[in-house]
Amino acid sequence: MAQRTTEIIVGLFIIAGLAALLFLALQVSGLSPKAAGATYKLHANFNDIGGLAPRGRISMAGVTVGTIESITLDRETFQARVTMSIHKDVDNIPADSAAVIRTSGILGEQYIDISIGGDLESLKEGDTFYSTQSAMNLERMISNFASGR
Amino acid sequence: MMDRIAALGRTGLDVIASLGRACQFLAGVVGGVPKPSVGFPLLVKQLYAVGVLSLAIVVVSGLFIGMVLGLQGYTILSDFGSEAAIGQMIALTLVRELAPVVAALLFAGRAGSALTAEIGLMKATEQLSSMEMMGVDPLRRVIAPRFWAGFISLPVLAMIFAVVGVWGGMLVGVEWLGVYEGSYWGNMQASVDFVDDVLNGLIKSVVFGFVCAWIAVYQGYDCVPTSAGISSATTKTVVYSSLAVLGLDFVLTAVMFGNF
Amino acid sequence: MASSAYISLNDVVFSRSGRRIFDGVSLDIPKGRITAIMGPSGTGKTTLLRLIGGQLRPDSGQVVVAGREVPKLKRKELYLLREKMGMLFQSGALFTDLSVYENVAFPLRVHTRLPEDMIRDIVLMKLEAVGLRGARKLMPSELSGGMTRRVALARSIALDPELIMYDEPFAGQDPIAMGVLVKLIRDLNSSMGLTSVLVSHDVPESLSICHYACIIADGKVIGEGTPDELRAHPSERVQQFLKGQPDGPVPFHYPNNDAASDFGIRGSGA
Repeated sequence: MAQRTTEIIVGLFIIAGLAALLFLALQVSGLSPKAAGATYKLHANFNDIGGLAPRGRISMAGVTVGTIESITLDRETFQARVTMSIHKDVDNIPADSAAVIRTSGILGEQYIDISIGGDLESLKEGDTFYSTQSAMNLERMISNFASGR
Repeated sequence: MMDRIAALGRTGLDVIASLGRACQFLAGVVGGVPKPSVGFPLLVKQLYAVGVLSLAIVVVSGLFIGMVLGLQGYTILSDFGSEAAIGQMIALTLVRELAPVVAALLFAGRAGSALTAEIGLMKATEQLSSMEMMGVDPLRRVIAPRFWAGFISLPVLAMIFAVVGVWGGMLVGVEWLGVYEGSYWGNMQASVDFVDDVLNGLIKSVVFGFVCAWIAVYQGYDCVPTSAGISSATTKTVVYSSLAVLGLDFVLTAVMFGNF
Repeated sequence: MASSAYISLNDVVFSRSGRRIFDGVSLDIPKGRITAIMGPSGTGKTTLLRLIGGQLRPDSGQVVVAGREVPKLKRKELYLLREKMGMLFQSGALFTDLSVYENVAFPLRVHTRLPEDMIRDIVLMKLEAVGLRGARKLMPSELSGGMTRRVALARSIALDPELIMYDEPFAGQDPIAMGVLVKLIRDLNSSMGLTSVLVSHDVPESLSICHYACIIADGKVIGEGTPDELRAHPSERVQQFLKGQPDGPVPFHYPNNDAASDFGIRGSGA
């Protein structure tokens, strides 16, 4: 086979491989080319974060508005302090909103849902959520149910 | 009795000696970088023979494996009511494990054995010797392009395998079994991480490519130059490559995905 | 011997897998002449060519080619020396993925920077010398055995070497092909002033063209000289080999038990 034809075919082969990699990056793993810089930080303290992990989803009304930046243990209050990166254009979260830990599906992973309050003032950079609801703990629920509470 | 122990010891030493030869061989292959004007056309020719010609088997296998994953996965997940998770199940299985490993096994069987047989035949017909007598280093001219071609091709083939598999899973899951297309892709994107999953899978296939290519060219170069020798070398390539891939897969998975 | 030695082996000892293939072999190969190295199968004649070419190293002793000690050469010097040698392998050893033209052009492309049209001229001249200029576009798989050897011969003279080694060139050839090869070997030697070393166990053909011959058996040189000298050689071993006698110093029967016990014959016996 002519050398030129071989070269072209091999070139196409490599391009196909790179295209596959690109497909895996974008379509399969949802890598998004959006600029990461346009976020601001909010904090929330939870008694029990359950299975929450950094890079977890933060949603409002089902729409993803940010990701979990980091989770640390507050040594004085013994609560988990979660730092979140919220998209800058979602800048009107009422100051009395609650951060609730929810699970998607029965086996699904956990995420933070922002339950809207009614305050006219909005949360700003570095603010902490006033009210939070911890992750549902299956054993506690069952024991509550069993003891009839 | 002592004879048996001595024979066992000798076999052990033979294996170690073979490993030593293989490492020296690798140094000779990797170390000699030819002139680009000479080496590049040889590499391109081998990429075609080794990579492009393996595409058919990789694509067909990927498709079928993706479809089977779709079928089996749907059956199992529907017991939990979690059919929507099928996208992420298929994608994670393929990207992390099946694409690198199965593509490597197929590669070893098709391209690896072909490389071993070709090089072994060149050795048996004294082509390698005559090249040496003409002052050309066969390691650089014949072996190295084939090695690099294998090393480059396998990651490409593994990526294509993963993509075709995901698409095959979508065919079965969405078109046939009725999973909602949005959740197929949505759940998948939420749970497959580019760095942790896709890149790790890619790293695996690079490692496998190195090992499979090395074993294939070494067995051909080191074989007994008779027809029985070549056939034995070809078998060894497939067996050793497969075992190496599976063993390395365990090690790599433990390192990458274990939580130690 | 009139001419000086191009190759000398001095007391070369070489063993492989525990077997002593050469046990103190000394011989001189004269320059510009055709020398035949003969001997029974398995005496290591091909090994001798490999020792001369530097592919193998002797356990002890010297191998001197064109004044250089081959085993002591460094890789680069060895490759330079090899450019002066041409070798014709028993099977021709053409590169199966290249055409006849490309096979002959291979050494030129690798060792020289000649422009394409010069390479073409040289390749066609070499093919013309072996009578295969018209076959230049064929692939090795399309050639007959004799043609393969002729192409391999053209390839081995592509760089105009000083030495050519032929490994069993007459093995399995039909009479016409044999005649062609004999003519080529003789003509090339005289026209190019080469030193030719011919390894063979084909006695009549080898003796008909060589100027000097050596017979090697059991790891030693058992006879050497011009063809006439050898034909009159006193050693029985040499005579058995040259005449092709089935029984003599090399016995017909493999060492065995006495016939009576193997065949179960009793009685008064032979």
